[in-house]
Amino acid sequence: MGCTSSHSARVEDEIPKSQSVIRSAVLIQKWYRRYLARAEARRRCTWTIFQSIEYAGEQNQLKLYNFFNNMLSQMDTDALGQPKILRALSVSQRPVLIDTKTLEEEDNELLRLSDPDTIEVESTYRGVHLTFPLTQAQLQSLIKSFKTKQVLTPLNQAQLQSLIKSFKTKQPLHAKYLIQLLLETRAALKQKANINYATTSIAKQMTVCGDLHGKLDDLYMIFHKNGLPSVHNPYIFNGDFVDRGRNSVEIAVILFTCFLINKNEVYLNRGNHEDHVMNLRYGFVKELVKKYSMHAKRVIRLFEDVFSWLPIATIIDHKILVVHGGVSDSVDLNFLATIDRHKFLSILHPPRGENDTANLTDMQLREWKQVLDILWSDPRGQHGCHDNTFRGGGSYFGPDVTDYILSKHKLKRIIRSHECKPEGYEFCHNNKVLTIFSASNYYEEGSNKGAYVKLHGPDLEYQMVQYMSSKGANRKVTFAQRVTRVESSAIINLREKILGSKTELLEEFRKLDPEQTGKVNQYKWCSVMGCVLDMDLPWRTLRPKLARCDENGMVAYETTFEEMRIYHRYSGNGPTVTEMLYRQKDNLETLFRILDRDNSGQISMEEFEEVIQLLVKQQNMNCPLDQISDIARSIDLNHDGRIDFNEFLEAFRIVDSFGKFSEVQQQDLKSISSLDSIMTMKNCSFSMGTKRRISNLDDIKEYRP
Amino acid sequence: MADESKENADSLIADIHKRITEAFEIFDNENNKTVDVREVGTIIRSLGCCPTEAELTDMLVEIEEEDEAGYIRFEKFLGLMTKVLMERRYKPSPEDVLLKAFLVLDQDGKGYLTQDELAKYMTEDGEPFQQEELEEMLSAAVDPEKGTILYKEYVSRMAVEEV
Repeated sequence: MGCTSSHSARVEDEIPKSQSVIRSAVLIQKWYRRYLARAEARRRCTWTIFQSIEYAGEQNQLKLYNFFNNMLSQMDTDALGQPKILRALSVSQRPVLIDTKTLEEEDNELLRLSDPDTIEVESTYRGVHLTFPLTQAQLQSLIKSFKTKQVLTPLNQAQLQSLIKSFKTKQPLHAKYLIQLLLETRAALKQKANINYATTSIAKQMTVCGDLHGKLDDLYMIFHKNGLPSVHNPYIFNGDFVDRGRNSVEIAVILFTCFLINKNEVYLNRGNHEDHVMNLRYGFVKELVKKYSMHAKRVIRLFEDVFSWLPIATIIDHKILVVHGGVSDSVDLNFLATIDRHKFLSILHPPRGENDTANLTDMQLREWKQVLDILWSDPRGQHGCHDNTFRGGGSYFGPDVTDYILSKHKLKRIIRSHECKPEGYEFCHNNKVLTIFSASNYYEEGSNKGAYVKLHGPDLEYQMVQYMSSKGANRKVTFAQRVTRVESSAIINLREKILGSKTELLEEFRKLDPEQTGKVNQYKWCSVMGCVLDMDLPWRTLRPKLARCDENGMVAYETTFEEMRIYHRYSGNGPTVTEMLYRQKDNLETLFRILDRDNSGQISMEEFEEVIQLLVKQQNMNCPLDQISDIARSIDLNHDGRIDFNEFLEAFRIVDSFGKFSEVQQQDLKSISSLDSIMTMKNCSFSMGTKRRISNLDDIKEYRP
Repeated sequence: MADESKENADSLIADIHKRITEAFEIFDNENNKTVDVREVGTIIRSLGCCPTEAELTDMLVEIEEEDEAGYIRFEKFLGLMTKVLMERRYKPSPEDVLLKAFLVLDQDGKGYLTQDELAKYMTEDGEPFQQEELEEMLSAAVDPEKGTILYKEYVSRMAVEEV
């Protein structure tokens, strides 16, 4: 015991009882507040890790695309001997047929090729059959048929029966109906202008939802709390319906159905993920291929087109501007209204329809920037307008830019989405900008709430509604426990990134440790980690969870890897190549999908080698090309010259020194289902999960993934 | 020898500065070297200190800007916290002291506290909890079988978790 406490032990007898009660209460309170504060600091740290990883991925992708666009513009587009990937890329930039002269003809071709009448519905199909025009009853059927239920509580016989039945009917909407739905949606969207004008004059209210990202349970949560759309219950869905989550198709189907039934009460804004290029990388195309196999190509192409017909903005009562990303100082709504939005199949490509994509006129550049800014920008506290380097596209806009745009167009406020927020929403710029994000548990179960906003009355007052979907277990979890769990997941993700750069990290550490002591000081360790990984994280705070220190505070840098490394089933033990492939996994996937024109999941060996060579070039790496050929050959299990790239991508493992391995964490969000226990934040309950808590490494001897 | 101890002292301060800087940055959302005044208590506690609310208020008075209510600037924060950490102020209480505090509250010497008792103390005495803070404490402190707070077990459990 320290002197303080023994002093108070002596004095305590003389202090009146109530005083000692007060002192004890204060002691417990300050102790507990410290505990909560530390959990809060860890929560922020964890958040930073997830955001860093997310945006690094986006930057990565844009860099890749810029690289290819540059290569394309430097090459003659019809030249033979051009790498296949480039040819594939330039074709994917164009509409369906290369020879047509006008957009009109292209559209007719699209309609002809996707013709749903040529598709037959099998008698074994148990899903919903659609007829047009769509009705509310059909919407209800769709919603019901997509519901998934998870068994976590004891069932009685009746519940079991209905569960089995629900699994049977849980089927994606048949390709035939999906295509019909998409064609109807396309026709209806074509009638809309770039800017929707929404009014609350009839309903006296409006609901705005943000990113959903394929999280069907969150959409169901919103409908459960707020009702389905109708004349008296209008909705604006502010983009990013697809990618990342497992039910992007179902979300799109339901939202499009709602739109077709209530064309003047449901407003759909385009988000940066309603974009073919993003869909190649972030999961929507993968989902479509999985759910629609032989019809996938038609469906993918149609979605791509439908997305390009989505309006760019919605204005409520001439007061509130609703856009997915934000604004920039060059945004001009009058100019925006004149653009042919259909040109932008993907915002990441220059607009189509022009023959020579290499040289854009000033006007074309201006149009492109306009749409890019609206779909990709983020608000920031600093004044002015700057390039959004974090994401690689769009701008950062300050409160002055907000004021400028609002006053220019005589508007009062902006509602936007695009950024995940812990509470599901966030105000900034003197409450003139509201970010609304509707996908709860976006990074990990428990990472954040989702929210939507209701606007009431003549002044369009805000009412925020928050929620967090849950898996349905009944045990309550404290804030601190939830933080620990989400933190574990973030650290696992971070470790994988670290392992993916092990070779380079070790090189840099050794440069700073010329005497080969195996140790560097904390400052150097932090510096190397930050530089090599190019991630601005609180490394010092994270260090205890990532590497071991000795009594003098020197970091034993090899413990950062704890003898683990990335291993690929088909690349044996060649560390450099394996690491590089792992680091480039997302880029590889995107490129493979581009090459895989018929969505078979396979590409040729030459194509495979070509992709990797191009990546090596883009990344300016030293990579032995014969190793790449070896890998290609070893994956070609059937010796038929073709490679299953899904299998290739899924073959990464983390291996420890004993050769034991664990699965690489899947990047896809885990889909959370079960509507049986939808609860709001206060009563939030979900299972503890079985993730191991990551302790400080200094204190434990063994560390196993 | 003197050189070495000076070097140690320098690197100690440098180390403290880095810790403070990083803790501050975690809460500096806009990257503009300021944080919301309402978060300062959290930052100070995340650095390992255990001040009371009253002690926090005193600290804030020292570093708050006269003309910029609601914000704390990094330079002033750094100055204050360096002193606080060098002087090891507001050290957290060891486990046994904490246990003694619970013993005091357990006036009947039952060996446990009821939820009502703890709630009453925490929301009426000392520096009262907000409802959220109370709920958070109760959700982890209450023994699920007995429905009471077995404070000895609770304090030990929290001590392990804090590692």
